[in-house]
Amino acid sequence: METKKQFRWFSIFEYEKEQDYLREMHKAGWKFTKVKGFGSYHFEKCEPEDVVYQLDYNKDGLEHKEEYVKMFSDCGWEYLMDYAGYSYFRKPVSETGVAEEIFCDDESKIMMMERVLKGRMLPLLVIFLCVLLPQFILNIFNYRNYVLATFLGGILAVYIIIFSWCAVKYNKIKNKK
Amino acid sequence: MDQHIRKVYVPMTETAFYILLCLRDPNHGYGIVQKVEKLTEGAIRLTPGTMYGSLSKMEKDGVIRFVREEDKRKIYQITELGSEILEIEFERIERLYKVAQGEM
Repeated sequence: METKKQFRWFSIFEYEKEQDYLREMHKAGWKFTKVKGFGSYHFEKCEPEDVVYQLDYNKDGLEHKEEYVKMFSDCGWEYLMDYAGYSYFRKPVSETGVAEEIFCDDESKIMMMERVLKGRMLPLLVIFLCVLLPQFILNIFNYRNYVLATFLGGILAVYIIIFSWCAVKYNKIKNKK
Repeated sequence: MDQHIRKVYVPMTETAFYILLCLRDPNHGYGIVQKVEKLTEGAIRLTPGTMYGSLSKMEKDGVIRFVREEDKRKIYQITELGSEILEIEFERIERLYKVAQGEM
């Protein structure tokens, strides 16, 4: 079986882009098999087909895996794998040409985003406030270690960009409601 | 009734309404999906991501409760609190309907 590997990086709220990417690959005859490490996507050659890919983020679901997967398979979704808290599902576009999704209202889409925020952003925020920020301030004012302070400052800047970008994205989806 | 429950469920989403309506009899998530599709003649198709998230949240809110597991499917039923808010929702919808009728 011919296989291939591609590197892609999607930030935490870009699961829609990721879903589109996997769908396009399948349309082009590359069926998703797994993702590992830092965004290493594995595919195997297949008949080109229009298949919808969907990501869910649900800790409850991961804790009750069998029952969670059962509900999706009852509804015709094939469960693929979990990666970084996300569960991957796929379903061929039906003969009527309707591309189904796993969420049917905005409320449940927002609920999922809030689970992502809680699961992924909260730990980052804790590291930010309890480790990075105090270290940065100590290094500037107490230790006067400006090399380390610059380094920490760089990480802080990246963090702040990620936080603001997430806030913008979250508001955008919330206002769409 | 708790302020939070009132805020979230009065009025409630269509998904929550159909879940509570169906769970007057014990049922599992997929059973609800099928029942709603039949009741609405295919107009409303609930999806598993929405269904799973809603059921866990509604269980935490105490408007439905877990009864038993059957063939890897969790069976739920409405609670007294759930029945109470469903009744409030019925009255609200009836009022809406009456008002709409009067205006036509």
